[in-house]
Amino acid sequence: MKLRRNNNFLIEPASAATGDIAFNLIVFFLVCASTQPDSGRKQILPRSENQQKQTEQTENLEVSIDRNSVSVNTEKIPLTDFPSRIKRKLQGKAKPEDRIVVVKSTKDVPYHHWIAITGAIEEGGGVITLQLEEERNIQVP
Amino acid sequence: MKIPRKKFQATVPSVAMGDIAFNLLIFFVILARAQDDSHIKWEPASTPKVEQVKSIGVSVVVDIDSKLYLNGQEIGESQLSGAIEKLLGNAPAGKRSVLLKVHRNTTALRFEPVIEAVSQAGGDLVHILEEKTVQPKK
Repeated sequence: MKLRRNNNFLIEPASAATGDIAFNLIVFFLVCASTQPDSGRKQILPRSENQQKQTEQTENLEVSIDRNSVSVNTEKIPLTDFPSRIKRKLQGKAKPEDRIVVVKSTKDVPYHHWIAITGAIEEGGGVITLQLEEERNIQVP
Repeated sequence: MKIPRKKFQATVPSVAMGDIAFNLLIFFVILARAQDDSHIKWEPASTPKVEQVKSIGVSVVVDIDSKLYLNGQEIGESQLSGAIEKLLGNAPAGKRSVLLKVHRNTTALRFEPVIEAVSQAGGDLVHILEEKTVQPKK
């Protein structure tokens, strides 16, 4: 009896590993994505309970921000001059309580404008304190 | 002549293991996404100087529609301070960072009470901003 030799080998790439490769790739990209740091700016604000006491003790600089403009102690200042002007006003004030700047904003001030102004105050060495409008309930008779 | 009987190998199919792991991973990724704030739409304000900050536990977002989120979950303004305080717990100074992500055109009427709430909760405020690239004058 003549035996037939089986020469028809099935050649196929090892597919068992592809799943594992995909898994490792996903883990790699997930780790990369989760460790991506944010960029930003820290801002130190006094806690709101202490705020009132501090503002009463000394006469602080007051910065009022409108939608497109800014004023220091009621004096309107061009936006381009603001950083240098605030720096000059804070110069020579060593105590942190003297460097407090009370920031008042009208309700329509956009965040990007507010960030630019408060950033300039902090650059100049000021300590920011927010003065918010108090809510009032008015009863109509 | 004796012909040996062909032996059949009974092995557990391992091809499916990768797929099972892949599906499990997708499941957990979707679960995790529901808790973070990457699905919220907002554009950061820009500033000339930024520093790299590590994201720790708490993030507050005010999105394009002025909706407020704490760690990806929508929250009311009045509940914000208490919720942040709860999340921060007794964390020591320096580990009480609260990342504040405010859409660039949000008005003070919306973002100032949020800042006040973070301050009341004793959080260290970190504004998330993008670096403004200054183009050189020609």
